[in-house]
Amino acid sequence: MTEFCECLACNVGATVPDFKLETYEPTKGDFGEISLEALKKNKKWTILFFYPADFTFV
Amino acid sequence: MGAEIVTVSTDTKFVHLAWQRDEKELANVEYPMGSDSTGKLAKMFGVYDEETGLALRGTFIISPEGKLLNAEINYYNLGRNIDELMRKFKANLYLAKKTEEGCPAKWKEEGDKTLRPSAKLVGRVHEALSK
Repeated sequence: MTEFCECLACNVGATVPDFKLETYEPTKGDFGEISLEALKKNKKWTILFFYPADFTFV
Repeated sequence: MGAEIVTVSTDTKFVHLAWQRDEKELANVEYPMGSDSTGKLAKMFGVYDEETGLALRGTFIISPEGKLLNAEINYYNLGRNIDELMRKFKANLYLAKKTEEGCPAKWKEEGDKTLRPSAKLVGRVHEALSK
C-alpha cells in the first residue's frame, strides 16, 4: 500500500489543527502566546515563517 | 493588513528576546517571535530537520477559516523574498473575495488580469490574457 505524507506541507488545502506557541513580543518587550484558535476567532490570516535559528541570518 | 505574521524557530522565547535586543537589524521588528522548542509545530508542517533539530525555511499562509493555502520550503542556504510572499498573500485576499476567479502566473495586484475557468477558456488562455 502506498503511504502518503501527512505533514501539512504535503497537504495544501487541508485544515490546520489548532496550535499554540509561546512568543516573545518585541512591541511589548514581553513574553506572550499565540493560538490559531484565537487568530481564527479574530478573523485573522496567519502567516507562519519558519527559520533555522536565532543569531543566524534569516 | 489583516494578517498576523509569526516567525517560528526551535529556539526558546528567552533566546528570541536576547537576539531581538542584540541584533540591530531586528530593532524594528513588530511581529511575535514564536518558540517551537520541541519542534512539534515544525514536524506538523513538515519542515523539521531530524539531523539538526532545526526548522527549514518554510512559509505557510493560513486563511481565517484555518485552511492552509500556501506552502513554500527553502533549504538553509536560500533566503526568502518578501515580494514573493506578499504577492501570494495579496492573491489569497483577492481570491477570498472573488471565489470564481483564478490569479495567473503574472498576477501581481488587484486590477491585474484574472481568469475565470470555464468551457470557453479551454485552449483560449492566451486570448483571455491579451484582451
